[in-house]
Amino acid sequence: MSGEDFDALDRGDNDGQKSDKMFTLKKWNAVAMWSWDVECDTCAICRVQVMDACLRCQGESKKDSYGKQDCVVVWGECNHSFHFCCMSLWVKQNNRCPLCQQEWSIQRMGK
Amino acid sequence: MLMDKLQTTFEGVWPSMRPIVLKLLKQETVTQPEWQGLFEAVHSVCLWDERGAYKLRDALQQDVMMYIKQAQNRVLAHREDQALLKAYIAEWGKFFTQCNFLPTPFRQLENSINNTSKVTSSNASSTQKKNNNNNTEDSLVRKLMLDSWNQSIFMDIKQRLQDSAMKLVQAERNGESFDSQLVIGVRESYVNLCSNPLDKLQIYRENFEAAYMQATAEFYKLKADEQLSANGVQLYMKYADQRLKEEEARAHRYLEAGSDSVATLTKCCEKVLIGEHLPTLLAECAPLIKAGETDKLQLMFRLLDRVSEGVTPILRDLEAHIVSAGLADMVASADIITTDSEKYVERLLDLFKRFSSLVKDAFMDDPRFLTARDKAYKCVVNDTTVFKLELPSSALLRGSKGTAPESKCPELLANYCDMLLRKTPLSKRLTSEQIESRLKDVLLVLKYIENKDVFMRYHKAHLTRRLILDSSADSEKEEDMVEWLREVGMPADYVNKLARMFQDIKVSEDLNTQFRADTTRHDAINIKILNAGAWARGSERVTVSLPLELEDYIPEIEDFYKKKHSGRKLQWYHHMSNGTITFANSVGRFDLDVTTFQMAVLFAWNQRPMEKISYENLRLATELPDPELRRTLWSLVAFPKLKRQLLSYNPAVQNPKDFAENTTFWVNQEFALIKNCKPQRRGKINLIGRLQLSTERSQIEDNHSIVQLRILRTQEAIIKILKMRKRITNTALQSELVEILKNMFLPSKKMIKEQLEWLIEHKYMRRDDDDINTFIYMA
Repeated sequence: MSGEDFDALDRGDNDGQKSDKMFTLKKWNAVAMWSWDVECDTCAICRVQVMDACLRCQGESKKDSYGKQDCVVVWGECNHSFHFCCMSLWVKQNNRCPLCQQEWSIQRMGK
Repeated sequence: MLMDKLQTTFEGVWPSMRPIVLKLLKQETVTQPEWQGLFEAVHSVCLWDERGAYKLRDALQQDVMMYIKQAQNRVLAHREDQALLKAYIAEWGKFFTQCNFLPTPFRQLENSINNTSKVTSSNASSTQKKNNNNNTEDSLVRKLMLDSWNQSIFMDIKQRLQDSAMKLVQAERNGESFDSQLVIGVRESYVNLCSNPLDKLQIYRENFEAAYMQATAEFYKLKADEQLSANGVQLYMKYADQRLKEEEARAHRYLEAGSDSVATLTKCCEKVLIGEHLPTLLAECAPLIKAGETDKLQLMFRLLDRVSEGVTPILRDLEAHIVSAGLADMVASADIITTDSEKYVERLLDLFKRFSSLVKDAFMDDPRFLTARDKAYKCVVNDTTVFKLELPSSALLRGSKGTAPESKCPELLANYCDMLLRKTPLSKRLTSEQIESRLKDVLLVLKYIENKDVFMRYHKAHLTRRLILDSSADSEKEEDMVEWLREVGMPADYVNKLARMFQDIKVSEDLNTQFRADTTRHDAINIKILNAGAWARGSERVTVSLPLELEDYIPEIEDFYKKKHSGRKLQWYHHMSNGTITFANSVGRFDLDVTTFQMAVLFAWNQRPMEKISYENLRLATELPDPELRRTLWSLVAFPKLKRQLLSYNPAVQNPKDFAENTTFWVNQEFALIKNCKPQRRGKINLIGRLQLSTERSQIEDNHSIVQLRILRTQEAIIKILKMRKRITNTALQSELVEILKNMFLPSKKMIKEQLEWLIEHKYMRRDDDDINTFIYMA
């Protein structure tokens, strides 16, 4: 079945005769890695890599290691990025970006 | 008044008192009026005669003395020891009873004497009160009686008494029986004789106990030498053990219970029987351990544990035995265990069980011996003589100049663990319980491994392969293992990453379902989109030109993923991806499990099935880097499990490095799977082998990164300690450092030193001006 599905893709340069091809694809397990699309891969607030949970979340995850909400990244208008957890604590003290001192406003959130 | 006068002076009263006193001493019957008369007489003498009290005392003493002399004559009339003892005990018994009676009528005497002698003392009344309270126990007359006994008869014959008593004890030791009451009676007389209120056991201790100890020591000094030379150490130990028990029982019988005599005697026996023969006994220890004579060792342990420093040499012997026996075993089976992780780990466990049961049977799991076992077993596990893991000498790395070789144990242990968790002949053969218990064994050995970071690295690589190739035997057990690793103290950040990997796999499964639902025709594709931080930090990606069939999927998946997530970028890890293809030739159709690289190479023939393609053209077609292309081709022309290979090539070479630009490759049209020597028309074969997680170059870097990571961890730990302590000596720092890092690796002295120098050079810390072995934190 899958052979036919695959052939459908290639109909452009092939006549759809599956036996014509010596090798046909049956299944492909593709592997990709995702990472946050950031310029600096360390969170300037907690000094942990943004791909890892922030220190606070790491401490908590010792208790329940599975099924925890991800520790996401947040980008400001200045394009600087931090752990969302870290930044939400930071803005309570000082509503400026810790790196460029511009007033902090969220441009987008990682999801 | 004349009558009164006569009645109230000592000289007037004493003649009538004396016969009664003598009667009392001799234990003859005294009538009630006579008894009461005594009280009256004492009272009046003390009241009316100024010197009466003293005169009364002196007269009493004379009579007591006289009585004692008579008693002494009666006792000494006996020549034979037992009779003498018997007589003495009888006389003493009588006298001692009187010590409780005679003082009663004379209580008044006491008050008077105390009052006159202490008239100046301000607390006379309190002294009196005290005397009244304690009446017969500490009374003057009683003291007078006991002291008299002590000075006359006792001083005279105590040597004979002791000697006789000791002779009896000696006779008992030699197996003769006698009336133990005799010895007990003597002892009691010693105990009761003492009139010193501060130390009631003084006479007993200085005489009886001392004599008993001396006699015992002398007896066994002789016996011990005799037994040792006649019967040898092993029988001697039995003898000593039995004798110690006997002596303890005997001591309970013959020595005073309230004192610490029994303990003193036991010490004395231990010294003579064990302490003085320690070297001779210990000489036997190593051979016994070697021969596994647990009963005898148990005996030896029991004996030697009684004396100080007796056990330390046994511990040393045990340690030496475990190390040498363990290593000998390893070296003897080196051929098998260096190539077979399962055999190796089983061998290690076998040794562990052997040593543990030795410690249990011979030393009753005494904590000191368990520690010795652990210490020695650690040496065996981490030994590098049989095989070693060569970490690169890290001249390139910051501040480090090379590393000592390390045991390959962590790597093999991780391999074994993989064999249990992956679908393998081994894991299929075992029940779930067996696998679980073996995994626990792995954790046990892991405890002894110094460089756990190497284990973790290999374990994670194996887990990555299992998850990506979906080859876990039991996913529940996989996750259990992660928790067990957490429980045995593996670093949290490492264990969290492993847990994260399982989470990613589950997320990917959901993602797949959604992707297929959104785009109905894609059940040929399975995507895994994983957290780069948890799976593959720092690993290098390899470029490859994908076959169109695969390439077409990419944008579709990326679009789909962008809709679900934002702020993420994707990187394809084609060296990890894989799949199944169908290969059709004149013989039949075969399903092949292949890596994406193999796929890329094979699909090059789809346009020109019969052509021979040169190495160079394959490289142009696939865009694979040279090492990867060579390795991929080699797996297709020389796959170990295949009788007929998928690709043929020319000219033949010995290894993939020798492929030349113009080496040509073509599809083997005769390819077939062979079963029972017959070519099959259908079949499935897995050509993936061991999934390559990284490129060849990054594998070398991988080992570098172990060393690099250790350097960072060491620096980090040093700073952590210094931040906390502000200043610390080198020794204290080293031990705290080992404590912090022990769940990852054992930092070498050399590395610590190098990192200290580096940190000092970069002004993170400095040495104390006065003491170069003390470090000070610089903020």
